[in-house]
Amino acid sequence: MRLVLIGVLALSLTLSLALAVSGARAESPTDAVKSVVDEAIRILKDPSLKAPALKKQRRDRVKQVVDRRFDYEEMAKRSLGASWRSLSAGQRQEFVRLFAQLLEASYSDKIMNYSDEKVQYAPEIKDDDDYAEVRTMVLRKNDRIPMNYRLMRKSQGWMVYDVVIEGVSLVSNYRSQFSQVIRESSYNELVRRLRTKINELQRIERI
Amino acid sequence: MKRGSLELVVGVFVLAGLACLAYLAVHLGKLELFGGGYRVVADFDNISGLKPGAAVEVAGVEVGRVEAIQLTTGDRAKLVLRLSPGVKLNDDAIASIRTKGIIGDKFVKLSTGSSGKAIPNGGKIRDTESAVEWEELISKYIHGKV
Repeated sequence: MRLVLIGVLALSLTLSLALAVSGARAESPTDAVKSVVDEAIRILKDPSLKAPALKKQRRDRVKQVVDRRFDYEEMAKRSLGASWRSLSAGQRQEFVRLFAQLLEASYSDKIMNYSDEKVQYAPEIKDDDDYAEVRTMVLRKNDRIPMNYRLMRKSQGWMVYDVVIEGVSLVSNYRSQFSQVIRESSYNELVRRLRTKINELQRIERI
Repeated sequence: MKRGSLELVVGVFVLAGLACLAYLAVHLGKLELFGGGYRVVADFDNISGLKPGAAVEVAGVEVGRVEAIQLTTGDRAKLVLRLSPGVKLNDDAIASIRTKGIIGDKFVKLSTGSSGKAIPNGGKIRDTESAVEWEELISKYIHGKV
């Protein structure tokens, strides 16, 4: 009798564990995007971080939240296209780092200027097990900006690999620009231009 | 005897003429009798007036045509593209609706991608970009944005 009881207990424990694990894995792409957006908005709204002196801290915290869900390597790889394959591991790492910096420098101001925009979610598109598109609408005071996130399933969960704003894809935009620079000159020239651009953007930010 | 061979010659000429006509009809009408090449589908939010038969381009080179346009259940536009057999698409390819010039024809621009995983015949291009409404953007620019 006791043996049966222990057996049942063990079984129910394994079952609940299995359920918990599958529950964690079954996080939907929309949940993934929502968690980032909500967390970022919470930080941006946080009155204790509103002081101008804390601007850097506030930005770093938003960046941390975004970094968890944005797969910069995948974005950089897709944006660079065929040239990616001819890079060494070190060059790839460097390129991903530059790319992430470029994104941060280009978009952080827009994010930091948050002024009570609301985000509305439309049903996600998912006709594939490993890929999904989460469609959102950013509602400003008198403006609506469609913003879609493309995600793919990785070992750490759903990760964003492209952002489509007003119908324009980030990866597609950078892919055509990067390939043009590489075609006209070389990969090294692209890296040089990225560095210059990042410096320029960071300088503007500081002013 | 002589009359018989004359008729034969006329017959051969008529047949040759008919063959030329058939050739012209097929080629000028861009009619494809043999369903060669390969097909892929792609869903778009908005194709704003793209027509069946519109060009599909890679790097500005025409590599196929839009074969069919349907509406999906989710109110998106599903395009069936027929591409020439030499085109290789990877699964990180991006299909965008573009306009030739400012008011020219709409066409589908493909960026073939480089992931190494090919899209099979009948497969789907996952990443798409809808038509950007130039007129709206320009009018926003001219009249100012509210």
